[in-house]
Formats: sequence, C-alpha cells, structure tokens
Amino acid sequence: MSALPEVGAEAPIQVRTPTALDLFMFSASAWLLHRIHYDTPFTVEHEGHPGLLIHGPLQGVYLVQTAERWLGDRARLVSIDYRHLAPAYLGDELQCGGTVSATYEEGIEVELWVRKSDGTLTTSGKARFVKR
Amino acid sequence: MGVITEEARLWANREYPSFDFEVTATDIAKFAHATGETNPIHFDKEAARASGYPDVIAPTLFTYVVRMHASALVPVDQLEPDGSPSADVPPLPTRRAMAGETKVVLGVPVLAGDTITVTKLLAEMYEKEGRSGPLVFVEMEFTFTNQRGELVARENFTRIYR
Repeated sequence: MSALPEVGAEAPIQVRTPTALDLFMFSASAWLLHRIHYDTPFTVEHEGHPGLLIHGPLQGVYLVQTAERWLGDRARLVSIDYRHLAPAYLGDELQCGGTVSATYEEGIEVELWVRKSDGTLTTSGKARFVKR
Repeated sequence: MGVITEEARLWANREYPSFDFEVTATDIAKFAHATGETNPIHFDKEAARASGYPDVIAPTLFTYVVRMHASALVPVDQLEPDGSPSADVPPLPTRRAMAGETKVVLGVPVLAGDTITVTKLLAEMYEKEGRSGPLVFVEMEFTFTNQRGELVARENFTRIYR
C-alpha cells in the first residue's frame, strides 16, 4: 500500500467538456426534469441564460472523480462539501483539479475545484478521505 | 426586503413522506455511464465480487439519483413549468432555481439489490440581496439508509431561487 500524498500535492487535472448528450444522460439517469439542462429555447427565453446549464451535481461528481481517480485504492471518501460559484454552460471546457490541504493520522483533506478555460471558478469544494 | 411571505415561511421545517428506492444494477449502470465511470465494479458483478463486494456497487454520489426520484417521480401535473417538482417549490416570487451548496457525509456504499430509504426535510429559508435582485436560499436535509438500517449518507443541500 503506497502512502497518501502530502500537503501541497496536486491531482492530475482532468478536462471535461460535456456534450448535450452527456447533459441529457445525467438528467435521465437521475430523473432530473429541470428544463435548463435540455430545453434550450426555455433556458434562453425564460431563464435568461446564454445556453443549457451544466448541472451543479454533475460538477460535484467531477470533483469526486478527480480525487478518486488520483487516490485509487489508497483512500476512501468520507465527506465532501462543495459550492457553485458561477454557471457553466454547454460548450464550456471544464478543468477539474485538486490539492491536498491537510493531512491527519487517519487520512487527508483535499481542496477541489472546477474552472472554465478562461479561469472562472465554477465549483469549489473540500473532501476528506481516510486510508484504506 | 422580504420576498419570503408568511405563506412561504410555513414551508420551513416541512418534513416530506419518506421514499423507498429499490436499486437495480441497471440504475447503477445508467448513472455510471452518464458520469463517465469506467471501473467495472459499477457494471460487472464478477468484477465487484473480485473487489470484495457482493454485487455491483454504485458510484459515490449515487444518492443524488435516489433523492431526485423521491422528488420528481410524480404525475406530470405535479411539476412546475420549468420541470421542478411543485412539492419542492415554496410560493416565492423568485422562481428561477439553481444549485447552491452541497454537503455530503458518506456511510456504507450502495449495492445493487439494496432498498434505500430517503427522508427529506425542508429545513429553512432565508434571503440575501444579489447583484440582479433578491436571492432566496432553501436548505434541504436528506438522510439515506439501507434495508438493514445502516446509514448510507446524509446530505445538506441549498437551492437558490432568483
């Protein structure tokens, strides 16, 4: 079993550019019926957005995957908190990354983020992992 | 100030009926494909067994699927024009919904064959002045347990109406 990363260590950046198909599949798998993720005329004309929104909860999944793919079998996620700071729209390229912010006897804390390619932070979070 | 009327305020501390979700391997595979998971423990029972699980295991945030079904698996006439379940939407002049903050504490994993019971509370509402007008924050609390009464997850979720 290899050791967990130290404070300051960075997860490999994962680039995610969800397509309309990805947005639809996420809505369908969760039975999420909110139109702003699949109905472009409604989203633009009634909600005032430039296009379909990339789900906040999908970005939450990206945060978890960024950390889990990095840590693999070394650690298990026990809690995660995240906030959405700016909207992300269909067509945006999202870069997902993370940095170890603290280490404990039993595990580590990782700060996680999703940014657009122009640098805008769309989702920011913090996750705690314990050693397996 | 004051877009939260007395009528809307009555929705605070509102408990919803609990909901049981019978998890199939198909439900897990849909969510796993929709989120780009590739680990076979989410698709293949033998791979899951080789990793020490009795059946395919759901990705970490699968409880989101459970709580959305608890809210949205209703007749179409119980949905708002934007697709939101009417039972989730307090009577507010701010009608456009967005996800705010999520806090999840994880317990035991979800496996195919589990029945997950979710309880749901609309805990509180408060308002702030945003750049483009009032914002109303609605805080929800979810507790997920399996058929053995084990804690699967607790989630605090804030929805923002603008």
